Amino acid sequence: MSLTRRTALVGTALAAATPLRFARAAEATIKIGGIVPLTGPAAETGKFMHNGATMALEEINAKGGVLGKKLEWVVEDDATTNPGAVLGFSRLVSRGDCVAYTGSIRSTQVNAISPDVEKAGKPVIIGGTDPALTHSGNPWFFRTRPNDNYSSKVMANFGIDTLKKKKWAVVYATDAFGTGGMKALVDNLGKLGVKPVLVQGAADQTADFTPVVLAVKQANPDILASYVTFENDVAIFARQLRQLGVTIPWVGSASVTNTATGQLAGPAMWGVYGVTDFDKKASPEAAAYYTAYEKRFHLAADNQSAWIYDGLHILAMAINEAKSTDAQKIRAAIMAIKGYKGTEGTYNFDQNGDGLHGYNIVQNKKGTWAFDKRIDFAS
Amino acid sequence: MAMFLQLLFTGMGIGAVYALVSLGFVLLICAANIVNFAQGDFAMLGAYLLVLGLNVFSLPYPVAIVLTILLMAIFGVLFAGATYWPLRFRGALPVIISTIGAQIFLENIVLYLYGPVPQVLPGVFNSPGFTVGGVFMDSQYLTILATASLLVLLQYLVFEKTLLGKKIQATNQDKEMASLLGIPVVFMILLTFAYSAALGAVAGVLVGPILFVSVGMGGSIALKAFAANIIGGYGSIPGAIVGGLLLGVAETFGAAYISVPYKDAFAFLIVLAFLAVRPQGLFGEKVAEKA
Repeated sequence: MSLTRRTALVGTALAAATPLRFARAAEATIKIGGIVPLTGPAAETGKFMHNGATMALEEINAKGGVLGKKLEWVVEDDATTNPGAVLGFSRLVSRGDCVAYTGSIRSTQVNAISPDVEKAGKPVIIGGTDPALTHSGNPWFFRTRPNDNYSSKVMANFGIDTLKKKKWAVVYATDAFGTGGMKALVDNLGKLGVKPVLVQGAADQTADFTPVVLAVKQANPDILASYVTFENDVAIFARQLRQLGVTIPWVGSASVTNTATGQLAGPAMWGVYGVTDFDKKASPEAAAYYTAYEKRFHLAADNQSAWIYDGLHILAMAINEAKSTDAQKIRAAIMAIKGYKGTEGTYNFDQNGDGLHGYNIVQNKKGTWAFDKRIDFAS
Repeated sequence: MAMFLQLLFTGMGIGAVYALVSLGFVLLICAANIVNFAQGDFAMLGAYLLVLGLNVFSLPYPVAIVLTILLMAIFGVLFAGATYWPLRFRGALPVIISTIGAQIFLENIVLYLYGPVPQVLPGVFNSPGFTVGGVFMDSQYLTILATASLLVLLQYLVFEKTLLGKKIQATNQDKEMASLLGIPVVFMILLTFAYSAALGAVAGVLVGPILFVSVGMGGSIALKAFAANIIGGYGSIPGAIVGGLLLGVAETFGAAYISVPYKDAFAFLIVLAFLAVRPQGLFGEKVAEKA
């Protein structure tokens, strides 16, 4: 056999690869699988998630990792679609080496993977805030954001008690998140004796909100509440609201406070109240995280990175506490977490797997979000 | 009444964008007999080029717009070279598939270069608009309507009154005959690609300040533009314009008076109705089955 250039090249490559493979085996990691929107309309969320996770992993591994090994986060793209989420999750499961998972911040995608999560039988950290996700009997979801029972309760209380407004218009996205939030809000308003004058849905990625704004104008409310999912939708809605002369107080779900929303909408968002799970002024932990994140990525941190940052810390803590990667033991350890001070609030996991039970109220003051107050409920 | 006029105004504005992208579709259908699935990405690329020109190179607005359109015209030729030219003798389908490939490639390359965060594009005018009789006239929608009308007029003049336009039309009608008459067919086809990409860029530059500039912005516009094309008549130039405007107005009114969440459904319901009742569209000619 003559030594051709190709065989020489292949030989060199093999020789180079062999020690690498051994090194890998010696440095085995404990893996958490994650579905992340790397592409599609929520790709900006994916970037924030990646940043938050990177910070959490560095901190965890600097402190010795989990069970003496490094913690690793392996991701699959969910393309911001339900089929993408299902496919990504099944890819992660079929790897066979993930001890737990992180899911989506979008309720509709969490909903989509729910049956597969039950089959996989391992803990999944989620950020979707539709209350039903942790209330429909799936024991493997653990939420590191407060659900929309609480956000809507805070919105209703704040609007009625503090702002003294009784004529409500509710605008929501017709996906799982928006619909869940709208239902919870209408329910909580009802408990306070208020029936909204308008409940108006709109599909995600609606290019033009003129019909919605005109419906709001016609209903003549004195306060507007919103559960809109995507930042660009919030921004377009905000701009058209202002252009068509709607100036009533507006209390929005967390997406109104997202960094991207503010950048896109500019002055159209001034004065808007937001109900948000993450605020840098809510706690010293949140403040420290915000500062570190800004220093590292030159971006303002928001809930889109904070939930996954907390989630990975909670998983690492639970695995260390359980002294095992057994799914049931990790589950029990997460459920036992009480009083853990994360960036999103103080975690006390309840029987449903919800870790947090309160929200912050913030107001957009000429582009910066001013912390108003935090309202916590006893689970 | 004010509400009706407001809806009509925004519907026409959105419709004009559909019309411009639809026009780009139709020109390529005529010239090369292909449906270009990357047509929406011409709009997306145009908008990103303008963002680049304004925010990174700090060019004055008019200079940045002219540069964007010129660069996109050149890009149209390159696009033809990559997707159409190598497959031109293999029938329409392989070319269509290769434009789908180009679409995926372009969107992901922009996602890689620019990241997923939507970009803000300033409008042509500083003022957001003004109110007349309770109707808010968004300055950007006005710009869109004015530009679209001007372009349509210009195109009509070029196509009907100049030799170049007649040559392009002849090429579209019968390439063999045109080449026998000494018309440089290849040049005409490349010119059409360049013009189609430039039209896409104009649409992107116009709609960017309203919808923001993101990788996915072209996708939904292109889908509606294609629907407009079917309504107006497959491959009909006046059909593309009327179809686009009709679709924009219909979906806005449908959303306001029937149901907002099903807004996108109206567009496609209309397409289904046309396919069932008048498949040749508004301006299309009935194509007789060839023996």
